[in-house]
Amino acid sequence: MLIAWTALFFRLIVRPMLREKGRSLLVLFAVALGVAVVLAIDLSGNAAAGSFHSSMQTLTGDNDLEVTAAGGVPESIVGQLDRLPWPLRVAPRIEDHATVLPSGKTVPLIGIDFVAEANSHSGQRQMAEDPGTFNFINDPDAIWTTRSLCPHVGCRITLLINDQNRDYTVRGLIPAAAQVSGDAVVMDIGAAQQATGKTGRVDRILIKVPEKPGFDYWQQKLRAVLPSGVQLNPQGSETAANRRMLAAFRWNLRVLSYIALLVGAFLIYNAVSVSVVRRRADIGTVRALGASRRAVLLAFVAEAAIFGVAGSLLALPLGRVLADGAVRLLSTTVNALYITSRPGALAFSAGSVVLAFIVGIGVAVASALAPAREAALVPPTEAMARGRREYEIRVARWRDLLLAAFLTVAAGFASRVPAIDGKPVFGYVSALLLVAASALAIPALVSALTRIASALLEKLLGVEALLASRSLAGSLRRTSVLVAALSTAIAMMTSVGIMVGSFRQTVLTWMETQLPADLYLRPAGAPGGDRHPTIEAGLADRIAQLPGVAEVTRLRDYPIEYQGLPATLASVDADPAREHETSEFFSGRPLSEVMKELAAGNNAVVSEPFANKHHVRAGDVLTLPLGTGSVKFRIVDIFYDYGNEGGYILLARPVMLRYLPDKAASNLAVYLAPGADLETVRNEIGKAAANSDVLIFSNGEIRRQGMRTFDQTFAITYALEAVAIMVAVLGIAGALISIVIDRRREFGLLRFLGAAGAQIRKLILVEAGLIGILANIAGLTLGYFLSLLLIYVINKQSFGWTIQFHWPVAILIGALSLVYLSTVLAGLYPASIARHLNPIEVVHEE
Amino acid sequence: MKSRLAFLLILLLAATGGAADYQPALPGYHYDFPRGYFSHPNYQTEWWYYTGNVQSADGHRFGFELTFFRQGVSRTPASSPWYVHDLYMAHLALSDLSGQHYYHTERINRAGPGIAGIDAARGLIWNGNWSLHIGDHGQQITGVAGDFGIGFSLTPQKPVVIQGQNGISQKAEGAGHASHYFSLTRLLTSGAIEIGGTKYQVEGTSWMDHEFFTGSMAGDESGWDWIGVQFSDNTELMLYRMRHKDGSVDPFSSGSYVDALGKSRFLTERDFTMSPAGDAWTSPQTHGEYPLRWQVSIPSLGMRFEITTPLRDQELTSTLGPSYWEGAVDVRGQEGSHALRGVGYLEMTGYAQANGSDRLP
Repeated sequence: MLIAWTALFFRLIVRPMLREKGRSLLVLFAVALGVAVVLAIDLSGNAAAGSFHSSMQTLTGDNDLEVTAAGGVPESIVGQLDRLPWPLRVAPRIEDHATVLPSGKTVPLIGIDFVAEANSHSGQRQMAEDPGTFNFINDPDAIWTTRSLCPHVGCRITLLINDQNRDYTVRGLIPAAAQVSGDAVVMDIGAAQQATGKTGRVDRILIKVPEKPGFDYWQQKLRAVLPSGVQLNPQGSETAANRRMLAAFRWNLRVLSYIALLVGAFLIYNAVSVSVVRRRADIGTVRALGASRRAVLLAFVAEAAIFGVAGSLLALPLGRVLADGAVRLLSTTVNALYITSRPGALAFSAGSVVLAFIVGIGVAVASALAPAREAALVPPTEAMARGRREYEIRVARWRDLLLAAFLTVAAGFASRVPAIDGKPVFGYVSALLLVAASALAIPALVSALTRIASALLEKLLGVEALLASRSLAGSLRRTSVLVAALSTAIAMMTSVGIMVGSFRQTVLTWMETQLPADLYLRPAGAPGGDRHPTIEAGLADRIAQLPGVAEVTRLRDYPIEYQGLPATLASVDADPAREHETSEFFSGRPLSEVMKELAAGNNAVVSEPFANKHHVRAGDVLTLPLGTGSVKFRIVDIFYDYGNEGGYILLARPVMLRYLPDKAASNLAVYLAPGADLETVRNEIGKAAANSDVLIFSNGEIRRQGMRTFDQTFAITYALEAVAIMVAVLGIAGALISIVIDRRREFGLLRFLGAAGAQIRKLILVEAGLIGILANIAGLTLGYFLSLLLIYVINKQSFGWTIQFHWPVAILIGALSLVYLSTVLAGLYPASIARHLNPIEVVHEE
Repeated sequence: MKSRLAFLLILLLAATGGAADYQPALPGYHYDFPRGYFSHPNYQTEWWYYTGNVQSADGHRFGFELTFFRQGVSRTPASSPWYVHDLYMAHLALSDLSGQHYYHTERINRAGPGIAGIDAARGLIWNGNWSLHIGDHGQQITGVAGDFGIGFSLTPQKPVVIQGQNGISQKAEGAGHASHYFSLTRLLTSGAIEIGGTKYQVEGTSWMDHEFFTGSMAGDESGWDWIGVQFSDNTELMLYRMRHKDGSVDPFSSGSYVDALGKSRFLTERDFTMSPAGDAWTSPQTHGEYPLRWQVSIPSLGMRFEITTPLRDQELTSTLGPSYWEGAVDVRGQEGSHALRGVGYLEMTGYAQANGSDRLP
């Protein structure tokens, strides 16, 4: 039995597979590419955003708990904790970033208590015991670095910390036992506090508690003695919070990668269908010789599985290569948007290999099931009949169309379901339903359009075009699958394109109102989602005195954690002087009114992403741990913001200073007096800021920079789209080749009847062109609806941004033309094959 | 272990600021109490040494040591609390004499924002959660480590004893090779000991030494042996001998005898002999060889007694400074025709390494 089946399998599957190497390779490649994309996203997602640790998780040792507060923990709490009558180990830390000059590399800057670390059992104990350490304990210029920054003790490094450049001397290297991956600069806590300007505060206090009686016991006990102004969390909760924030990002990314696979699935389906059709005669023969339906079904499923296994194997190295590129793009996004982190190593785990095989084999077998079933159902007599004609199964066009309508309605309902655990699960269900509906509607579209078009085409392009359109309508199923595959890829491109384009336009418009000043200052050094360097407090006042300057406003921000998620606490000078036509607030109230209310007391405005994440509305009260005490703020309004995914809590500057008295600013905005010359004032500011390393941007420059960051953020999205389109175009080429092979007899007959080679070529190119047009129409329509889902459901549920719909016309036309051109070009090779068919030989085959 | 010790020692010596910023212990010093109980920042090294013998109602015997050190690093004024003016070290040891187990731990800190320090106004000397409170009517000491802890109330039974002569306790030939040194020789002690969750209510007697100086040992001295004994007849004795690297004893070794009324009598090197009498114990950790039996004779007091210890391993192995043996001892002998009994603490330094520290205990 097994031997018989093996023979059948060989005859039906292996031999044709080997005979048509090109076709087999194409199917293989489609599977491999689809799986590779999923694998690459999985791998790179893990490396860039998954297993990632915040770079602040340097030298954290084996501690259990951490104390944090918005704006820093008052340092007196260190002493308070140390004096508690329990056997605790307490490690205060300064955590910041420094920019290494001249390379401009941003590295984590950690301040630790080198004296107390000698009591610890962690890696930094070795540093504390280094002879250099105590010698330079009071030296403000002494640093310890990883070997990557300095090869030997004694070398000098210029660091930009906040807005100050200063030369530091490396007094020791961070030992391997400290397990620091990547670069790091370590200072004694005193020097670090001075360098970062965090007088009186530390960023974090790590606590090691005894094992007995248990973690919860100690957490409760400590909570009871700590002031309400500080947070007590398990150590590493910052990483957990960041991970939570990145979860939605990663999830969306992964779903996007599955779309590439979906396109691949269409192609596998198509490839298997074609191969079934081509082997009808063989199927007939084996069936007549007694092979069961099951055996035939199994043979074709086995074929798909072979493609799945081989494709997945191929996908492993391919996915690895793609992941390398993706990691770079992804970490740019993560750094710009979320948190400074180093991408972890790409780790090929058993899990990722299993994922590749499950996805590869699963998709291949699933896509082969329907055509394989068809193959099994072929009646032997019909299959063996001489004068083989194109096998055509009837497509239940109207039933499919009805089903499509039903799925569309279902998609509509799914889009109304709220997010589950911050993930827009039903948003994607809705998208999937729409893709399915579109696939079901395509046969009706193809048959309707080709019928309308055939007469027109004949007039325009001649008889070859007529033949082409008839042939497409004739082999409706095959055409539909091709169109569905390509249109899904196009829809993906279109929808993401519209979403990103709309987002871009929204951000541009928003910047108009958000960036009204003429000049902006920020500390030099690369900006990042979690970096909050400051400008010395006096500079704003000095600039305000300059001739030509009307006003200077200060923004100060602190990274905080609110209810387990990272956010930014910021303060602004409430300046009711400037006014815009468009309101930046949900309430629609003018800026001056909101600002007046903001300054009136413990009031706050929050950004839209913050409001969405924490489900707060105007009128709600936020409780913030501000070190010395826990303070309540009433939300007076919500403002649109696209700069920070974690969200903003904005206070008036005098209110903030009451609780966090550090007067340094994070950014300055300078308004020119009427008639003042921009460049003159800019130069004057440059002179006034001679002691600080700050960057001065004009309004135009800062907007361009904003857009650059925006484009970087979406780089990975573009890359994914490109891959999906590539899969689709490759698939089209493959499909057209198999069409040519399949229709050798037809082309041979045409040649025999006197058709010129050029005419055959034209016929195939018109077919390719028609498929392209149909796919563009279907894809654009589907893409439009998908973009609505992306903008109003998926984006809103995962990130909470309000995006104004906008057609990115130029980009869309460009991209669609490119796809169309690739489709037609994909027809060139099969066309040349068909042209060179020997008509006599082909007809003799019959 | 040993190399690491030497390493740390070197770094601490290098770290501590130039002695030029501090003044040496010179004759004619005038003590002023209660201010004198607290910090003397003009001197680079200062310590508060508490040792004692206590036991529970059912006879479970313990010895303990809690020591606070201050080592001057810099006298430059600075506003940041993190600036290291002094390094604060502390040792906590508990000898479970009945249970034959020795517990010890050490720590080092900077003053920082309340991490360690000396606050005369509040009567506090502390290093993290190890603290000494000196009040008008008594003192409290507490020390908490991972698996053991102590908390005692101490009531002085005798007035302060100023050690040495003319306000200084000379350790070697030459000006400055001395310390300012005073003791509370009999502190009635009661409180609690906790070991691994088991609590013992205990009572007994303790001894307090407070010394401050700037680099007191001479270059050729290798260590010292010190003993403080509380006799059962309500008298106390303190002796120390400074050892030279060649094994000889420095003529500036000395001691004091405190009678039942609290009057002290200075003893010079010629007044006593204090010599090892065998029973060497080799530390498995530092390989230092310590004599655990001593013979003491003070002819002028008619005293002759032997020192033994109920627990052999009472070596405080330190990674932050030199290691030393400091443990509870029993004393038995004769004073004239009377039997002499007592308990005390014996300290032997400079055995674990060839060269002891000249700045640190």
